[in-house]
Amino acid sequence: MIALALHTLRHAIFAISIAAIFVVFVGPIAILGLTSIRPASGVFYIWRGTNFTFNNFVEVLHQSQVVEAMWNSFVLSTLATILSLGITVGSGYMLSRFGGWIQRSWFTTIYIFRTVPYISWVLPLYLVNTRLGIYDTYIGLLLPHIAVHVCFFSWLMKGFFDGINPSMEYAALIDGCTRWGAFYRVALPAAMPGIAALAILCWLSTWNEFLFALILSGKRTPLITSTMAQFVTETGTEWNLMSATAVLAMMPALLVTIFGQKYVIRGLRM
Amino acid sequence: MRMENKLARALLVGAFSAFCASTAAQAETALSICYINHPVQVANVAILEKWAVKQGVKLNKTVTSYAVYLPKITQMLTSGANDQCDIIWNNDDWGQDLAQYLEPLEDVPNARKVEVGQLEPFHTADGKTTAVSMTTTAGILFYRTDLISEAELPKTWDDLVKISQTLQSEKKVKWGYVGGMSYTNTFFSFWWTLWNNSCDIYAPAYERDNKKLAANGWKPMIYSPCQVQTAEFWWDALNSKKISPPGMTTYSRDEANAIFQAGDAAFTVADTTFLGSFNNSERSSVAGKVGIAPFPVGPMSNGVHTWIDVWGWSIPKTLPNDRKTAAKKLLGAMLGDPDGQIEQWNQTGGPPPNTDVWRTLEKKDATWRRLHTILFKPDHVHAAYYFRNWATVHKVYSDTLIRAMKGKREDIAATLKAGSDAIHAGATVND
Amino acid sequence: MTARSTKFGFDERERFMLFLIAPAGIVLVCFEIIPIMIGMNASFREWSLVNPQRTWVGPKQYIAVFTDPVFLKMVLPNTFVLMILSVGVSLALGLALASLLNRPFFGRAIMRTIILLPLTIAPVITATMMRWSFNDQFGVITIFLSYLGLPDVAWLSDRWPSFALVIMTDIWIWTPWFTIIMLAAMQGLPPEPFEAARIDAATPWCIFRRVTLPMLRPVIIVCVLIRAIDAFRTFDQVWILTGGGPARSTEVFSVYAYVLAFVDLDIGRAAAAAGIGALIMLFVGVGLYRLVNRSMEVSR
Repeated sequence: MIALALHTLRHAIFAISIAAIFVVFVGPIAILGLTSIRPASGVFYIWRGTNFTFNNFVEVLHQSQVVEAMWNSFVLSTLATILSLGITVGSGYMLSRFGGWIQRSWFTTIYIFRTVPYISWVLPLYLVNTRLGIYDTYIGLLLPHIAVHVCFFSWLMKGFFDGINPSMEYAALIDGCTRWGAFYRVALPAAMPGIAALAILCWLSTWNEFLFALILSGKRTPLITSTMAQFVTETGTEWNLMSATAVLAMMPALLVTIFGQKYVIRGLRM
Repeated sequence: MRMENKLARALLVGAFSAFCASTAAQAETALSICYINHPVQVANVAILEKWAVKQGVKLNKTVTSYAVYLPKITQMLTSGANDQCDIIWNNDDWGQDLAQYLEPLEDVPNARKVEVGQLEPFHTADGKTTAVSMTTTAGILFYRTDLISEAELPKTWDDLVKISQTLQSEKKVKWGYVGGMSYTNTFFSFWWTLWNNSCDIYAPAYERDNKKLAANGWKPMIYSPCQVQTAEFWWDALNSKKISPPGMTTYSRDEANAIFQAGDAAFTVADTTFLGSFNNSERSSVAGKVGIAPFPVGPMSNGVHTWIDVWGWSIPKTLPNDRKTAAKKLLGAMLGDPDGQIEQWNQTGGPPPNTDVWRTLEKKDATWRRLHTILFKPDHVHAAYYFRNWATVHKVYSDTLIRAMKGKREDIAATLKAGSDAIHAGATVND
Repeated sequence: MTARSTKFGFDERERFMLFLIAPAGIVLVCFEIIPIMIGMNASFREWSLVNPQRTWVGPKQYIAVFTDPVFLKMVLPNTFVLMILSVGVSLALGLALASLLNRPFFGRAIMRTIILLPLTIAPVITATMMRWSFNDQFGVITIFLSYLGLPDVAWLSDRWPSFALVIMTDIWIWTPWFTIIMLAAMQGLPPEPFEAARIDAATPWCIFRRVTLPMLRPVIIVCVLIRAIDAFRTFDQVWILTGGGPARSTEVFSVYAYVLAFVDLDIGRAAAAAGIGALIMLFVGVGLYRLVNRSMEVSR
């Protein structure tokens, strides 16, 4: 009897916590969604009045820049994800598996430069970009976005590789594999779930990145976040249009999350 | 190794194609105009676009976010880059900082057709203007015509409080006055009352000539009786007489306008350009019931003061001569286009840049007559000071006043006095 | 030349190490280290964006920041409170949610996506929405809370409520981040220790504490350190929700540097402030590393 009661209680607590998580995580998104279908007159008092409209979306999609910016952001996020992961997976592996002065100084470099705040870094970055003649180009946006991830990803990759037993790689080396082979064929597949999770995070953080987008994008390379920021003007925020754009911008992010999730699980089975 | 090679090749190809794209874009004869997505700027750019077509110029529009407009433009100007913007939006707040990097525009036709003194913030050291007007920005008192008749409009702060409290007690409206109060929204609460109580940030009041202010020692007025009175008025409005919402110290224009447009407040002060949106039924629930009125004055006032400032267009000094000439010609055409400017006024409530056009409007537009009487007939003051650290001083002022609002009423004078040194230092630190 | 007997002076193992870090190193140098060095150079100069004379003034800017009472008494404590609470709570929630999602139940796939929702919105949008939702007049969450009968709180206009709101927003944004990394790490764990524990009939809490947590240690340490560093420079949420107000009482380190750089256009002073922040974080990070390491050691 007591066991049954305990069982029911545990189920109830489980159900309640699931419901609470649902409210906390979906609530704000629902508020944003509701805002985006309110007319400009009811966009702040969303709980007052019952007028709903899709005009915000129509108006936003009529601005050619929004569509262009979505595409630019999509390309940038995808390229930044592939390249960031591509260049940091080796660096993380090195940090995890090797020792000596190279490893120590690389780790120290990464650590030191991770602590410097963005604020002190974006304006000089603008200078560097104009000096190199890559301001307002894809490459000028892409490389800094990769640089942002170098420290953090190398470090996190190190964490993932640390959690993997190295004995398999040693065995591969003894069997005549090259160092590259041991890394590429043995360690890399084992780290896949972590890398897939990082890919999702990387894509989302590039998609949603604001400060770099504002400073480094110009007339030729609008990004979705810098386009959204244009709805904030000196005399107020066009919140109806901004929220509609935010909802539109959420859609690709949501798709990436859902598909990325599947990949995390599939990576696990590899 | 293969992967690295591919990567390097991809990067090179990317860099090369980007380079080609940028040179191809420059080969065309085109002007780039850089501005923010503000309705008046958009309307004025529409006039420029119309003339660009007639003059055979391709006008590329670059809309920048307001949050980074100033740092980006400043960075562009100081680094001497000339491939980003040919015409830029310029504002009196930073007109002095940028003047040395901008082309004098005295030779643009109708450049000087503005209110007396309005272009001074854009002057170079030898008195040449580096901007031409696109519109005039100002704040104005809005009121609900269905709640208050024109005859009953408040003349003094006391009237404002009394009318508000009556309307609130009759449950006709939730709040009497709502306006922006957080940093950079200081105009819509603290400052309009300050200027209407014979007061200012530095003594002598309303003076903007740096030489005269320096001769007077950049004396802050922040603990003078006229300022303390202003602070006490707002403290009462928020805390004891409760004519304004308690959270108002954090409001920007967004919150204040939202509350006014929802019909929850009887009065607000906002930019004149909101006349259009307050009376637009798609944007506001009180459309058709909003009028404009002169500012109520404080106990020490010697007459109403409004603040008006020009928003302008400027041209970077580093442009090649052909683009400079083309840009000047385009701006001149806009200033000489009364129909376009009247269209701008009708659409956005942004006054026409050329004061000759004002006379045309005076004859046929009742709303303009009312706006003109309220805004331009009384004495007016510049809303900013023109020295390097003005933005810093503005923030210190805002923080000090908000601290006073959140403290006890009897501590107001002491709190204000504590901000005095920083305000004095802000003006003199670079001397 | 004679000293370099081997090619480049590195043995085969070292060459492989350098090869692994080379691409990351090049990007890091060009787009992070060089710009930061330019910034650090500025911190020793009188460098205003509008008047770039760049006079060398030595450590004057650093002294000015270090002797600013607002920086010492308000900005630094606020920054640390935000950092500790945000990282601590998001880590705890992230671990809890990851353990929840790591076992099968009906609707798990949907829950997994729902938990990631906060990451799909730009933090700036989230913060703006929170600002409207907690407004004392029209905020939909304020209205909802008072409908539930909770006392009215001036969420944005008093120091501690507005700071609490900033922290809550930060936790909302970052909990999914911890969740997905912890979940990935949990899924990468070998199954044997868990089976052994189950045979010993250990309780789930005991398994979590004695098996899961120690095995997650490397990832947790990295996550906490990285997030702590990032939380130390939190900007968007604070700037949009409170602007550092009322009267600078919720100002954090990044807002302090931002105002110097983007409002005052004082690049020199802003760079000095940023440099001081980086230095503080350098030492705090080392301390934190030892602390996390030790506390995990104890829990084993």
